[in-house]
Amino acid sequence: MNSYRMLKVIVAGVVASAISVISLAEPTVQELAQRLEQMQKEMDELRQQIKNSASKEEIHQVVAEVKQMTAAVSGADEWRQSDTMVHMSGYADVGYTDTKSRGDSFNVGSFSPIFHFQYRDLVLLEAELEYEVDSNGETETNLEYLTIDWFLNDYMILLGGKFLSPIGQFRQNLHPSWINKLPSAPPGFGHDGAAPVSEMGVQLRGGFPIAGLRTNYAIYVSNGPKLNAVDEDGSMELEGIEAEGSGSDNDDEKTYGGRFSIFPVAGLELALSGATGKATVTSLVDEEAGTNEFLSNEQARDYDVFGADFSWNYRLFQLRGEFVQTKIGAASVGVSASEAATWETWYAQAAHRLGMTKWELIARYADFDSPHDSEDQRQWAFGVDYLFASNVIGKVGYELNDGLKDSDADDDRVLLQFSYGF
Amino acid sequence: MKLRLKKGLYLSLFKISLFLLPGLIAQTSFAQDFMEHGDFIRGSKVWAETCSRCHNMRNAAELRDDQWVTSVFHMRVRAGLTGQETRDVLTYLQASNVKIKVKEPASSRAMVSDTANVVVASGQVIYENNCTGCHGADGKGNVPGVPDFTKKRGVLNKPDKELLSNITNGYKSSGSVLFMPPKGGNSELTPADVSSVFDYIKDAFSH
Repeated sequence: MNSYRMLKVIVAGVVASAISVISLAEPTVQELAQRLEQMQKEMDELRQQIKNSASKEEIHQVVAEVKQMTAAVSGADEWRQSDTMVHMSGYADVGYTDTKSRGDSFNVGSFSPIFHFQYRDLVLLEAELEYEVDSNGETETNLEYLTIDWFLNDYMILLGGKFLSPIGQFRQNLHPSWINKLPSAPPGFGHDGAAPVSEMGVQLRGGFPIAGLRTNYAIYVSNGPKLNAVDEDGSMELEGIEAEGSGSDNDDEKTYGGRFSIFPVAGLELALSGATGKATVTSLVDEEAGTNEFLSNEQARDYDVFGADFSWNYRLFQLRGEFVQTKIGAASVGVSASEAATWETWYAQAAHRLGMTKWELIARYADFDSPHDSEDQRQWAFGVDYLFASNVIGKVGYELNDGLKDSDADDDRVLLQFSYGF
Repeated sequence: MKLRLKKGLYLSLFKISLFLLPGLIAQTSFAQDFMEHGDFIRGSKVWAETCSRCHNMRNAAELRDDQWVTSVFHMRVRAGLTGQETRDVLTYLQASNVKIKVKEPASSRAMVSDTANVVVASGQVIYENNCTGCHGADGKGNVPGVPDFTKKRGVLNKPDKELLSNITNGYKSSGSVLFMPPKGGNSELTPADVSSVFDYIKDAFSH
C-alpha cells in the first residue's frame, strides 16, 4: 500500500515537472517572433554604428591633427612678446564728507584712468586723465600728465610733456587716492598750494648706485608757473601760484629744478629738491567787483622753491615727512607790482598696520602758511583704513583743523572714502 | 643788433646740443635686447624694498605677465629704478605670477623621500637667496602682511605637513592681502630644496 502511494506521488511529480519544463523551455511562436524582431533591430543598430565609426587610419589622422593644433596653440604666444604693448591702470574714489559748519555731502573724488603705450624697452607714453564732479554737478576734465619717456640707458630716462612736479614726494608719488593713506591731501599739497603740481617741459630722471647705495635723481626745465594777483582797493597783492604745467610761457623765462634722493639703508629715503626761475602775473582780479583787470608791463618775478622729504619703512610701520617752501619775489613795475610773498607747508605722517590684519592706523600733522591769513591752516588728521585688497581701500578720517576763525580752514571734518587702484 | 643775433644763435645751438647729448649717450649704451632676463633673487629684494615705499604691496598674480612689462616700466620712471633693477623686478614678478591652488597638505615623509640621491643646497643659502626679500634675514617679516616666524604662538606652530604644503603650493595668511607664490616664486626649487629650507626655518626661528 505504501509503495503504491509512493509510486503515485513520484508519477505525479514527474508529470508536473515535465509540464513545467515544457512550458518554460518552449516559448510560443509569437514570443519567438518578437525576439527575432528585437534581434533584427539590434543588428541594424550595430551595422549603423560600424558604418559611422572611424577606421584606425582615420583615428591616427585625427590624433595627428590634434597634436598639430596643440603645438600651434602653445606656440601662439606672440601676444606676450609684441613690440608694442598697451596697458591701462588708474584709480578712482567715492566718498562722504561731514564738515562742522557746512553740513554733509556725498561726493565723487575723481576717476583717473592712466594709459600706457610702450614700444619695446625704448619708449613709454604715459597719460593720466582726471575726471571730477564739481559742487554744481558739472564734470571737469583735466590732463593730469602726459609724457613720452625715452629710456636712454639703464640710468637715464628723458621725458617730455606735462609731468608731475618732482619737488617732494607727495605730488609725484603719493597723491593717487589708493596710495594716499588718508582721504585728503595735506594742506598746501593740493592744487594752488605751496607745492608745485606739474610742469610742462623736459625732464631727465633715473637712478644709479653710489658706493653701493641706491640713489634717485630728476632734473628738469619747464615753462614754469603763472601768478594770480588781486586788487584790494588799489592795493595789489599776490593771490596764488598756478603751478600746473601750462602750455605757454608768457615771460619767456624758464624754470629749472630737480630732486635728488639717497637710500642710506634699506627702507629709508632722504631727499632734497628745488626749483628756480621767473614767474609773471597773468591774472589780476578786482576783489570787490570780481572782474579781471587789464595788465601791462608786468615784471617777471623771482620764483624759488625748496623741498626736503624723507620716508622710512620698518616692517609694519611707516613714517614720512615733507617740507616745501615757495618764494615769489617783489615786482616794482607793472600794474600788479607788489611785495614778495612766501608759501610754506610741511607734514609728518605715521602709519601702522595692525599685525596680520587688514587694518591700518594713520596719524598726520600738517602746517600750511600762506600770505593770506584765511588760508593758513594747522591740521591733525587721524585715519583708520581697511584693506579689502592691496588696492581696494576703505578709509575713515577725522581732521582737527585750526585756521582763521569762521573760515573754511578752521572747519573740522569727518571723511569717508572708498578708493580703488586698478 | 648783430651781436644779439649771434648770442641768440649760440644759445639755440646750446639748447639743441643739450637734447642731442642724451641721444649720443643712448647710441653707445642702449642695449637692443628686449626683454633681457633679470635676476630673480635681486628682483625679489628690490620689489620688497622699493614698492612698499609708496604703496601697499601688489600680488604678482594681479596682472598677466605681459601687463607687468608696462607696469614695471611705469614704476621704473616713478620710483627711479635702474634698467637692471627693472629687469630683475620683472623677472621676479613674472616667475611669481602663479595662481595659488590650495591642495591637501602633502605628506612630509613623501617630500623628504624625494630628496634621496639629490644634491641639496643648504637650507640657509636657499632661505637667504629666495625668502629674505619678504621674510627678512631675521624671519620677522620685511613687508606688511608677512608673518613673524619668531612669534611664540606664530605660524611655525602649524603642523609640518601644512607648512611644507604652504611653501610648495603658495599661501595667503589669514588677514593678509599678500600672497606668497608657490616656492616663493622660484619654480626651480626642488622638493629637496623645499624640505631643506623648511628645516632651516624651523631650526632658526621657532621656539
